[in-house]
Amino acid sequence: MTATTLPMETRGALTRPRMRAPLAPEMLIATLGLLAFATFPDDLGLLTNILTTSIFALSLNLVLGQAGIASMGHAAMFGVGGYAAGLFAMHVSSSPLMGMAAGGVAGLLIALLSGAILLRAHGLTLVMLTIATAQLLLELANYARGITGGDDGLTGFKVMPLFGQFAFDFTGRTGYFYALGALVIVYFGLRKVVESPFGLTARAIKQDAGRVEALGGRVYAHLLLTYVIGGLVAGIAGAIATQTTKVASLSMLDFHLSAGVLIMVVLGGTSRLAGAILGTVAYMTIHHVAAGLSPHHWLLVIGLLLIFVMVLLPGGLIQLVDLALARMSRKRKSSEPLQ
Amino acid sequence: MLQLAANIVVDGFAYAMILFMITVGLSMTMGLMRIVNLAHGAFAMFGGFIAAMVTTKLGASPLVGMLIAILAVAIASVPVERWLIRRFYRRPELDQMLVTIGVMFVLIACANLMFGSAITALALPSFMTGGIDVFGRSIPVHRIAVAILGLIVLAALWLAIEQSSIGIRVRAAVDNAPIAQAMGINTPRIYAMTFAAGAGLAALGGIAGAELLPMEPTYASKYLVTFLAVVAVGGHGTIFGSFMAALLLGLVETSTKYLVPQLSSVAFFLTMFLVLLVRPHGLFGRHA
Amino acid sequence: MKQSLYAGALALGLFLSTTALADVVKVGLIAPLSGPYSMNGKIWEAAAKAYQKIHGTTVAGHTVQIVWKDLADINPAQAKAYAQELIIKEKVQYLGGLYFTPDALSVAAVADEAQVPTVIFNAATSSILDKSPYLLRTSYTLPQVSVPAAKHALETKVGTVVTLVSDYGPGIDSENAFVKTFVAGGGKVLEQIRAPLKTTDFGPFMQKIKAAKPDAMFVFGPGGPPTYAIIKAYSEAGLKQAGIRFIGTGETSEVDLPGFGDAALGLETTLHYSPAHPSEMNQRFISTASQEAPSVIMNAVGIGAYDGLAVIYKMIEATNGKRDGGKAIAAVKGWEWESPRGPVKIDPTSRELVQNVYLRIVDKDASGKLRNNEMKSFGMQPDHGRSPALK
Repeated sequence: MTATTLPMETRGALTRPRMRAPLAPEMLIATLGLLAFATFPDDLGLLTNILTTSIFALSLNLVLGQAGIASMGHAAMFGVGGYAAGLFAMHVSSSPLMGMAAGGVAGLLIALLSGAILLRAHGLTLVMLTIATAQLLLELANYARGITGGDDGLTGFKVMPLFGQFAFDFTGRTGYFYALGALVIVYFGLRKVVESPFGLTARAIKQDAGRVEALGGRVYAHLLLTYVIGGLVAGIAGAIATQTTKVASLSMLDFHLSAGVLIMVVLGGTSRLAGAILGTVAYMTIHHVAAGLSPHHWLLVIGLLLIFVMVLLPGGLIQLVDLALARMSRKRKSSEPLQ
Repeated sequence: MLQLAANIVVDGFAYAMILFMITVGLSMTMGLMRIVNLAHGAFAMFGGFIAAMVTTKLGASPLVGMLIAILAVAIASVPVERWLIRRFYRRPELDQMLVTIGVMFVLIACANLMFGSAITALALPSFMTGGIDVFGRSIPVHRIAVAILGLIVLAALWLAIEQSSIGIRVRAAVDNAPIAQAMGINTPRIYAMTFAAGAGLAALGGIAGAELLPMEPTYASKYLVTFLAVVAVGGHGTIFGSFMAALLLGLVETSTKYLVPQLSSVAFFLTMFLVLLVRPHGLFGRHA
Repeated sequence: MKQSLYAGALALGLFLSTTALADVVKVGLIAPLSGPYSMNGKIWEAAAKAYQKIHGTTVAGHTVQIVWKDLADINPAQAKAYAQELIIKEKVQYLGGLYFTPDALSVAAVADEAQVPTVIFNAATSSILDKSPYLLRTSYTLPQVSVPAAKHALETKVGTVVTLVSDYGPGIDSENAFVKTFVAGGGKVLEQIRAPLKTTDFGPFMQKIKAAKPDAMFVFGPGGPPTYAIIKAYSEAGLKQAGIRFIGTGETSEVDLPGFGDAALGLETTLHYSPAHPSEMNQRFISTASQEAPSVIMNAVGIGAYDGLAVIYKMIEATNGKRDGGKAIAAVKGWEWESPRGPVKIDPTSRELVQNVYLRIVDKDASGKLRNNEMKSFGMQPDHGRSPALK
């Protein structure tokens, strides 16, 4: 391997079919979101849940898929964002957008503080440290039950209508579009990060940190910045979740949530951002259907699916999508007349 | 004051031995085979369930039940290793963790189907009920038995792995299979046997620790973080490290239980956090 | 001509009458049917089946259809999604179930807005009912059963106590209620131990308690492994022999009793229901439930579902199957009826369930099976968590 060979994933990015319109992915997400709204108008609760979890999964995809930081404690940022938004609504202002910002800032800060310490570690050690961080935050939230409500959860805060007009009522329509809008904007932002030189360096670090270091790159700074951006997005996701459900609870910091979103990200595929959304939609849809059919056996289904993906489809479901797209473009090329 | 110190030492050591017994198999497979097996807790759980079932349904004595359970789990782990785990030796740790989480989910679902959702109690051999008076307080006999068993396991593993050629052969098989095979080492058999040994140890740990960590289908995932913490703090792969980590974490958690009960869980994770910061490879870990 | 006209009229008549009879009232129940707490979901299913077997599946000509939703763990977002789906998609008139407090709180917000009466089958935090006038509860609250525990201790000459509770909402609620009442009655609390929820080894705590030498120990343990560990540790550390009594509330669940074995004999608890309650109605409930679901062991969790359906049936009757949340709630406020647990009443102002709390001691019945034997009743207890007595 020479110094001039590009990392595999970057090569993939350059040969991937260039989207014609500059905002094509975001338009696609928005369209699918509108379609879902029209097709399942009575399931908005579930759909909103899928949207907020997708934002959370995107943040983990950035951290894991782009920078190679294996975290099993990502719920720390999500939960902190949720509590921050709830407390903000309770004590400062019930404006939803400001609450979202508060959640994002809280997630960012936690990522900064914990990342500064953790990111010197690697592999299993790093994983355990992320778990410990989330666990310690959970214990703290439980201890400070006077502020956080402890395991009863934080309730009793109001969320003002969005833009002063659209109330967050029980039909869930406002909540849905709020989450969808956030997803589209977050996806746009993260895509810009991933496609930028910064993102390129992050992926190079994931491939071979030593080489990047030798070339003069600052590995640690890059990792930390990626982690912090991930924290910001996770915090936003937590804030939206709290605002749309009107509850912040300790389960938002729990290991099971961290493990669950990790499974979603891996299921969808870590190599591309879109994998996060794909994985989340797949996981939560399967859960919804399986739980409806046979709740007692849901764990069996997800376990088998995970094994299947890890063994046969390590690139995740997005790999299937890419294969299909590649086959379609090859067919198109082969059907073009020879010059 | 002296009584308090004695209490902490006695209870802490007993707790630590149970932690060690359950996690040593995980540390061994991680060190020898470089595989992170998160389904380890599920093997421990099945060990406990099978032992309970054999004693209640077949009327065997608890010790016989224990032996049958350990053998059953060890044998059942062989096809899992052969058909699934073996594909992951060269893959990143995260991939190993995820596929074994999948295995864990499947095993939990099976346990739910086979044994129901309630807590299944393990019968103790009759000589293990009751307590002995030590240092001015009574300590249950089975805790003493577990402690002794833990020390025996420690000694046996240390001799087998660190002092004999078995350990070297396993490492050779894992590090460089073609050359190892060329030298006459039966690599597939070594893989299977080491993994089975790890699973058997897990079953033993599960049965031994059943008084403390009761058997129920979510056992495998509930205590996963605890098991991983002991292995990570000890340094993956070293038997002695696992022992010391169990001792450290056990004593820390027990002393906080006596002194500041509310913080005992925090103390556990804080200790893990601090140890891993200062010594990322664990107390006695070797660089990979 | 006349014949076909007559046939047509008959057909029309049948169509109209079946349409009238075919009106279904849907009830949405949110329960932990999978996951670590699935035992409780199964118990609710068994109790609900028993109720519908005994009382039928129709109320005043309306068919009651139950729609179950699986909520395996604490997940307020999921709980809210289910509530929305049940109300908007399934068009349920009533909601029920809800095992955990955060889930109940999240559903409460939706139920309040949509004006859908919601009957909580378990979540035991007193303040939940304050969140909406459409909330009811058919289980119990910790203060409701902990105050009688303290009174029992005082009456049976317990002078000193050490409390040991799990460090979370319900544990702290019961600790506070017990301590306040006990101290007010002249008792002395030597120490208040709060154990983290993750604790599995209670040996050290038992040693501490043994060293403190109280007359009794007041305990709160959540269902499952921690409670199992507490009772095992209590018996192993020899506290019973040392004369330290065990006073608890829900720790001796019938599901766990076989696993405890003789270690559980003599444990004293104060709770609102025991399957061993000697009434004909209760025996019918237990036997019907075990026919419907032979593998399920009934315990106090189940009675919440049974009476929850009773309340829902009453509301359907009162509104004649029509959707009218306010009328439904008004109809059951102050309602008194006989439940398999004993006499119960819904308080007209607080909407809380007022019920007998019993003192039970674990012993063996005629066939040698362990049970919670009701020794006496403390009479009808309000929710002390919301009554002025504890404020």
